[in-house]
Amino acid sequence: MTAPALSEVAAGVAVTPFSRIVTQEQINAYADASGDHNPIHLDSEFARSVGLPGTIAHGLLEMGILAEAIASWAGGNANLLSLSCRFSKPLLPGDTIICTGTVISVDDSGVATLEVGASSDRGDRVLTNGRATVRLSR
Amino acid sequence: MPDKSHVGRRYTAPGQRIAPESAQAMAQAIAGDGEVREAGAVPPTFAAVYCLGPTLAQLFSDSEVGIDLAGLIHGEQSFEWPEEVHPGDVIDATAEITSVDTKRGMTFVRLAMEATRPADNAVVCRATSLMIVRATA
Repeated sequence: MTAPALSEVAAGVAVTPFSRIVTQEQINAYADASGDHNPIHLDSEFARSVGLPGTIAHGLLEMGILAEAIASWAGGNANLLSLSCRFSKPLLPGDTIICTGTVISVDDSGVATLEVGASSDRGDRVLTNGRATVRLSR
Repeated sequence: MPDKSHVGRRYTAPGQRIAPESAQAMAQAIAGDGEVREAGAVPPTFAAVYCLGPTLAQLFSDSEVGIDLAGLIHGEQSFEWPEEVHPGDVIDATAEITSVDTKRGMTFVRLAMEATRPADNAVVCRATSLMIVRATA
């Protein structure tokens, strides 16, 4: 994978939208991989007892998918320098997460800052206030 | 319940080994049914395992802080990765409570974390987390 060239990236350039269906099996696998077995992610009865519509995906799973989307556009994990976001709405099993990003600035050292985020196919903005920085190639 | 007296409390988790199979399991969980795009690489958000997990586990079991897990929400997260992490690396992680504020019946606990690789004294991750604790009955 190759990073986008500094000469080709400017404010307003958009990351290719990236979408993925998130299943309960994937949430279970993420719980095992991360060690976060909070029952709101795994037990629908418990999740409903605390006011949720059912189990919800881990925010960090959603952020992991967003990181993959941005890193892929940037030419690989090593070019993703930072990522931040707010976990605004839950993502439910069976939802498709849609990750987006737009370059807002590029500095002289070849680092691009992007506004990033993710929404569900139900129209909920699940990851908001997102920012990422990526290293471009010269 | 957390309060301002807990600001400055630190949690340390030295010697976190980046197990290749664990990094691969997270990469596959993120990929779902799809293919892992960088096979053998450590996903950036694997910092959840070597940095957040072992330090937040200490916070959550700190009876003096007394976080009610039933009312806990992960509100915000930021990561910076100054250096790439590789399978087999050994990482030391620390976390510190940087602020505690209460508004509208909710307590907002902010933490700053840092993960370093002692082998070359590299900072491999800086992170901040916002944990929101709702009062439960």
